[in-house]
Amino acid sequence: MTSEAIALAAVLTFSMLGGAAAILLRDVLNAIVAFAAFSFGIAAAWVLLAAPDVALTEAAVGAGITTVFFLVTIAKTVRPGGERLLERVEWRSVAVVTLLAGTLLATVGSLPAVGAADSPVATSPVTEYYLTNAYTETGVENAVTAVLAAYRGFDTFGEATVVIAAGVAVLLVLRQEAYA
Amino acid sequence: MSGADEGAYVESTIIMTTVRAIAPFVFTFGVFVMFHGADSAGGGFQGGVLVAAAVLLLAFAFGIESTRAWLAGPLTRTAIAAGGAAFAAIGLGAIALEGAFLEYVAYGYGSTGTKYGIELVELGIGAVVSGVLVGLFFSLASGDFQLSAESDTEADATGGDES
Repeated sequence: MTSEAIALAAVLTFSMLGGAAAILLRDVLNAIVAFAAFSFGIAAAWVLLAAPDVALTEAAVGAGITTVFFLVTIAKTVRPGGERLLERVEWRSVAVVTLLAGTLLATVGSLPAVGAADSPVATSPVTEYYLTNAYTETGVENAVTAVLAAYRGFDTFGEATVVIAAGVAVLLVLRQEAYA
Repeated sequence: MSGADEGAYVESTIIMTTVRAIAPFVFTFGVFVMFHGADSAGGGFQGGVLVAAAVLLLAFAFGIESTRAWLAGPLTRTAIAAGGAAFAAIGLGAIALEGAFLEYVAYGYGSTGTKYGIELVELGIGAVVSGVLVGLFFSLASGDFQLSAESDTEADATGGDES
């Protein structure tokens, strides 16, 4: 194993432990902290996989803002009492989750290896076109941004519209007029 | 509602000092990520989240109600609407100049125009994202829904239990 693979395995193990803790811990505050740890691990995994744009999003949204939103939400709700540290395991839920995870894991074998030179993404003429022409055509050095804001700009416009629509809908539901 | 919020806020010298030192850097880094997404990792979505995080830090340190009073007015809604409108205007402007939607070269500045067009679009996305997140945070944290549950006569029992 290369040192990169070992580091990746380490952060993924950290994430799995965080995810398991988030599921099993009974107190929601503990679970939220564990979930933030899970997100930090995933963000580190994206960095190791050379995807800094996604890592930045995961760290800011998954570990940062989502945690804060969960915290302000549980401040408004009732936390379960009692001394127990861990949640009781629901075996029927475990069966459903195992089935779903098993189905997803069954597809992993069909994926190309990480960083494989002959993976469809690397050999696709579209990828080649972006990498060759992105700088001369758009003047931006980050090919990811060139694709998001120029080549696939209409998709990004749709994404921004979804954010606006979702934000407006939730703000309306939360009765924003109450203090407007 | 406001009584519950004031009760929840405890002034902490450590948190206030830390946030006072960190928040300007988080905000600057957010704006940097927004602007510099064209040449390094990042972009409007990530930068907008970071800018919102700076506001949330201030709210945690100095009290949610006083931060909202400081940001009073339709600032967040204006940011959301202006960001979306800027993005749409850049896209539709290219159509008006006989290009395709978001075809930056239609503005006639070549790849330089494309670069600045992309950065404007990123800035618009950043305004949308940070506006939505800050608005969501204040709506969630201020407990408007509790206020309305208490004041409405048809409020169910859960609203009363929580307060």
